[in-house]
Amino acid sequence: MRTEKTTDMELLDLLPKDGTTDPAGERLAELLARIAMKKVPVNSFSRIWILGSLQARVTAGYFAYWLRSRFSDAGEKQRLKSEAHLAAALRMFGTMGYLRGAIMKLGQLLANLPEVVPEEFADVLAALHFEAPPMHYALVREVFLDEFGREPEELFASFDRQAFAAASLGQVHRARLHSGKEVAVKIQYPGIARTIKADLRNLRLLLQPICLTRDWQNTLDNLADLEQMLLMETDYEQEACFGKQARSLFTEADLIVAPKVYEDYSTKRVLTTEYLRGCHLNEFLARNPSQAERDRFTHLLTVATFRVFYRLRWLPADPHPGNFIFMDDGRLGMIDFGCTRVLSDADWLLSWESIEAGLNRDQPRLNRAIAKACLFDDPQEMSAHHLKTIREGFEWFMEPWLQEGIFDFGDRDFFRRGVDNFAEGVRKRYTRCVAMSLWSNRFTFGGRAFCYRLKGRCEFRKIFLQESSWDGPGKKLVAKEIS
Amino acid sequence: MRISEQTKQETRARILEKAAELFIGKGFEDSTTRDIALAAGLAAGTLFNYFPSKETLAMTMVAEALGRGQTDFQHRRSGNEDLAEEFFLFVASGLRRLRPLRPFLGPVLERSLSPFPRKNICPEGETARLEHLAAVQEIIGRHGFTEAPDYVAMTIYWSLYLGILAFWTNDESPNQEATQALIDYSIRTFVQVISGTGADTGGAHAD
Repeated sequence: MRTEKTTDMELLDLLPKDGTTDPAGERLAELLARIAMKKVPVNSFSRIWILGSLQARVTAGYFAYWLRSRFSDAGEKQRLKSEAHLAAALRMFGTMGYLRGAIMKLGQLLANLPEVVPEEFADVLAALHFEAPPMHYALVREVFLDEFGREPEELFASFDRQAFAAASLGQVHRARLHSGKEVAVKIQYPGIARTIKADLRNLRLLLQPICLTRDWQNTLDNLADLEQMLLMETDYEQEACFGKQARSLFTEADLIVAPKVYEDYSTKRVLTTEYLRGCHLNEFLARNPSQAERDRFTHLLTVATFRVFYRLRWLPADPHPGNFIFMDDGRLGMIDFGCTRVLSDADWLLSWESIEAGLNRDQPRLNRAIAKACLFDDPQEMSAHHLKTIREGFEWFMEPWLQEGIFDFGDRDFFRRGVDNFAEGVRKRYTRCVAMSLWSNRFTFGGRAFCYRLKGRCEFRKIFLQESSWDGPGKKLVAKEIS
Repeated sequence: MRISEQTKQETRARILEKAAELFIGKGFEDSTTRDIALAAGLAAGTLFNYFPSKETLAMTMVAEALGRGQTDFQHRRSGNEDLAEEFFLFVASGLRRLRPLRPFLGPVLERSLSPFPRKNICPEGETARLEHLAAVQEIIGRHGFTEAPDYVAMTIYWSLYLGILAFWTNDESPNQEATQALIDYSIRTFVQVISGTGADTGGAHAD
């Protein structure tokens, strides 16, 4: 891993180059250096709030490159004006505190393209999530006094002052109810929803003048969608509701468990659930588990995600390793439902159409579905390379669905092909898509990266056939559409 | 006839109570000392024996609330807090006690705690300020940070604190949660300044 001591020249090398106007990327580097200089003169603050780290700067570099490519044909005057906006936008991008983890990790990932290796890709995906600043106990207490009118130690029989996990937009503490039950208490950083709204509003305003193309509108739409999802994550009452629905889908025989929600100890900003005893992926792997154990959890993970997909039309859009527990008793725990994407009717039909075309290897039909997902009226409006890249990505996604018997998600070659396709899409900037695609990609890559690290296998197609046979509203919608 | 000390205290408490009701109901600017005297069942002249001005009345409430906040802080403090956490607890405990007065505090604090020198210093405001800063000095002393000269550290602290109060009186987020984030960040800034280190004293997330 690169350190912060990397020299400016190395940084310069990492930045993407604009072949015609700025072959060495110097102007871009200058721009970034100017922004990075504008520090709050306090060390930890620079780390928290600004583009202080190399990874963040590299990400910003890619971001800048992508934005600049949109006005490379403009006149010099227009370009200077645009660069002023760009500088402001970059500064904004780098100061979005709750996104800093994601920004840095994405920077790590992008800096390694196109030489990215599957292992790094999987590691980086695992670390990509939104993070609020850590809270000390005094702040936690204030949240409790406001939410419950009581101190944590009055409400619970015992409460750990130190968080045991970071959560998206907050952190998690262990506690014990007066009944003796062990619970996990997730607490949200105060005011984070307002921060998200304000940051994204400012970012949009700043970006507006420099972006004129049709894809820009799509970027705005997707930013709006990101905002909606982030805001949804700040509503723990909504998450509790998702958690309860998920819990009701599984019986004891399934060996999958979504923890019980304790509503009396939950509010919009505090969520108390049953504590599931077990460990996360890294700790599980450190024990050097047998292939049978790896396969067992891969099977459970596949059942769990297919079930919520077919019964509730959900994409668990943040398949972060921290959201799954390898329980001591061999069950799989699913613990975080904050980033759950519920597919709309239109999204569901589009997704069903694509899967059907993929299953039947019907290329013309798949092309049409892809064009739709990329917001074109017809596949012919797309360049041949664009269509081919996206279609190959989708065919890669469908491979396990088509294979009879055991599918090996630990196969390096298989995962590598997915990563290469992803890298190609990033390089060519094939970013235009319906918002759902962002989340389904995150879901697919997150899940595949998880199983790749797990080196797990399962009868994927068989599980798909079992879970998709369930006769629910999703099926009825498709039936209605066909008739 | 001499009135007893107890009666005096009762009258004083009644005036404060009625004044708070009026300030919250009508606003600080629109409540007159006459209104307050009337509500407390006193002649206007008698009221002035207790409080020479409306401003003194309001600042007495502030000083008492902050005093209760300090007591809360002492009770809530475990002794294991790091500097940033202890400061947060101190500031948050004070604000929680001030909260019932929040509807009318903006103009009161602006007048009485202004950092700019004025002819008529409100003694109650000055006392509250000095007590607050003494508590801040004590906290700093407990943690042994001496990087910035006292007057610099205290001036920076007071500027941040007034900024927090100003933001808080106008904070429309639920339970003034936006202020909590502001306190958190302000205090981390201040701790960095006085400790002169790059260490993040806010504590990291657990793994």
